[in-house]
Amino acid sequence: MSNEKKGASGAETTAQAKAKAIEEAAANLMKQAPGAAALEGLAAAADQAAATVKKTAKEAVREAKAAAQPVADAADDLLDFDDDDPLSATSVSKKSLVIFFLIDTSRSMVGKKIGELNTVMEELIPEIRRVGEADTDVKVAVLTFGTQVRWMYNEPILIEDFEWSRLRADGVTNMGEAFRELSARMSRNSFLNSPSLSFAPVIFLMTDGYPSDDYKEALEELKQNSWYKFGLKAALGIGSEANDEMLEEFTGSKETVVHAYSGGQLAQMIKIIAVTSAQIGSKSMTLSDDVNHELSEEEVRAAKQKLLGQQIQDSMTNLGDADAISLDTGW
Amino acid sequence: MVELSIGQEVEMEYGGKAEVLGVIGSGGQGTVYVVRYNGMKWALKWYDIDKMKNPKAFRKNIQNNISDGPPSNKFLWPKYLTKETPDGTFGYLMELKPESFDSFVDILNTYKLSVNPLTGRSTKTPVRFTSLYAMVTAVINIVNAFRQLHRAGKSYQDLNDGGFFINMDTGAVLVCDCDNIAPDGSNFGIGGKPGYMAPEVVRGVAKPNVQTDKYSLAVVLFKLLFRGDPMEGEKVVRDVCLTESSELKHYGQNAVFIYDPDDASNRPVRGIHDNVIKFWRIYPDYVKDAFIRSFTLGISDPNKRIIENEWQKIFIRLRSEIIQCSCGRTNFCSTFKQPDSKSFKCPQCGTIFDTLKFSNRKNRMPLYLGCVFYECEIDPDSEDFQTIAGELVENRLKPGVLGFKNMSNKTWSVKMPDGDYYDIPPGKGFPVWQGLVINFGEVTASL
Repeated sequence: MSNEKKGASGAETTAQAKAKAIEEAAANLMKQAPGAAALEGLAAAADQAAATVKKTAKEAVREAKAAAQPVADAADDLLDFDDDDPLSATSVSKKSLVIFFLIDTSRSMVGKKIGELNTVMEELIPEIRRVGEADTDVKVAVLTFGTQVRWMYNEPILIEDFEWSRLRADGVTNMGEAFRELSARMSRNSFLNSPSLSFAPVIFLMTDGYPSDDYKEALEELKQNSWYKFGLKAALGIGSEANDEMLEEFTGSKETVVHAYSGGQLAQMIKIIAVTSAQIGSKSMTLSDDVNHELSEEEVRAAKQKLLGQQIQDSMTNLGDADAISLDTGW
Repeated sequence: MVELSIGQEVEMEYGGKAEVLGVIGSGGQGTVYVVRYNGMKWALKWYDIDKMKNPKAFRKNIQNNISDGPPSNKFLWPKYLTKETPDGTFGYLMELKPESFDSFVDILNTYKLSVNPLTGRSTKTPVRFTSLYAMVTAVINIVNAFRQLHRAGKSYQDLNDGGFFINMDTGAVLVCDCDNIAPDGSNFGIGGKPGYMAPEVVRGVAKPNVQTDKYSLAVVLFKLLFRGDPMEGEKVVRDVCLTESSELKHYGQNAVFIYDPDDASNRPVRGIHDNVIKFWRIYPDYVKDAFIRSFTLGISDPNKRIIENEWQKIFIRLRSEIIQCSCGRTNFCSTFKQPDSKSFKCPQCGTIFDTLKFSNRKNRMPLYLGCVFYECEIDPDSEDFQTIAGELVENRLKPGVLGFKNMSNKTWSVKMPDGDYYDIPPGKGFPVWQGLVINFGEVTASL
């Protein structure tokens, strides 16, 4: 299809043929829709394009293309000769999934906790790069909360291009503030602005303590956000200070809250939760075990969240026991 | 989840050990490793039995598949089982995918990622068919593989884009992930992948079987040719967020094909579904009609789904209707002009192509240098779509003179320019002329 390869004379015949074809196409259109004045104009444009062929082939191609465009638009079934190659596909249209990591970077995280967390996240990102397969663009957004609440990057980044930037811990635990920020960004006008379909996001909270600010009101606000409502929520408490009730309030179910008491557990749990939730989030429904009747909307509602809880719990039973040094000692 | 580590040895069912060399990838059911066993490299699929409903029955089914053997050489079939570990975990060995094959996922993505193991950075390499011929051949091969499987009384169950490897130069196909394959009617817990599952499976009223395979096959073919989702159009995109209930609705209870002639509510959206919009215009009606039937009548009535043999005929015909013009334009003859009922004209350079009419079908085959026909096209009893029976070549001694070469193993009777019939044995050729008639036996062809 490209003219460059065939040299000037080839290009010229091609251009001539093109211009001629456009002429014919325009004439055809006239036949199909007599009286459409606009088409006459198009035919004239094509005529002119044909005339220019004698000057330079290149110019003619350009003009012919310009003339062809409105013709093609006018009649959708008319083939645009430049773009009817059955092999010239672009990637299939994809759904998008954003994984939000909400990470506690308060002072108590300093040392082994934040060190382990940074390392496991660095390793995790390449591992889940292909989780979206051909259906889903998986993006990652990281929100950290200490005294200040900040995003690692200004927008969710495609996982293939994501590079972890190491976190440092300092300050108090402004989790309520983080909930507010998350809610503000989980919007079609902000972070969830894919033109195509989106899966409900994955929201993964990691913390080692109790919020310093009044998180309750902020969490209530967050719960009004539809993306949050449909989203897959999981929480990881680090060390024994983390408050299970508070985390359950966040995820909405006991099964999606887990605790890590050692560095080894922390690494394993982050991986399990991130991989499982990304898989469920990006592929959505799987066949329920013993369904044998017409499923209702009611039955499938929050099925993913339930499945996530099940799979997290199943994986936990197989985790190696705490490897000697507890996360709460030795700092 | 019991992960294997590099260097670890796994005991095989009938003795010997497989040594883990590296990870290939993880899926919903487990992880695939590359291992060494008996001096050869193999792929080991190692299950996450926590996610299995009934690991014992699943293992028994694989055992049965191993002893039955693959339906043909198009399958990367389970070869050997491992012993069960004390907690019941197991896996199986299969042959490694050859380097020259690309995964269907990468094909749909149009690129593959290679990751630098040291930095973790990834680079993209384009993946696309090198010829239209290879693409249509791949489609024929996929359809044929499932025909063979179904004839063996088995169903694949979770047919999706993770199940194939394709050679982008030749169109050769390898079906992988054969571990869920089960006798038609049995199911060991696999449901399938959303978008590929038949509506009745999504709705919960049927388990995967041969009929649901047929639906999934139509989705696979649609995605390969049109590069989009047959059910994702305006109606679905309007939902913005694809929740469980919207999925149940759009892929189960109220699935509407994007080109349903009687329901325009779910047409593809410009800017999102550009591939489908572009390619739907290119394909001939008989191909589009087959998809329309699959995704309209075939949604509610599994018996109305296109059977593999019918798909095979459709795509063998499509392959014979490719025109490779000397100007570089390669496309289906439906996109060429038709100055009269017996010829095609290149819309780009104006070259005219004569056509050959076979007595066993209505459509005419366009002729160009290098075009071929296959055994199955000249012998009604043959299903061989891979062996070339004849090719249009240029006479070596008289440049510019085109003729057919008999590449079959039968002698044809051919009407020559002098008006008489001559025997053309295998390996010999004859010129193409206006009064040409070829008698293949039961089938004849004429210009």
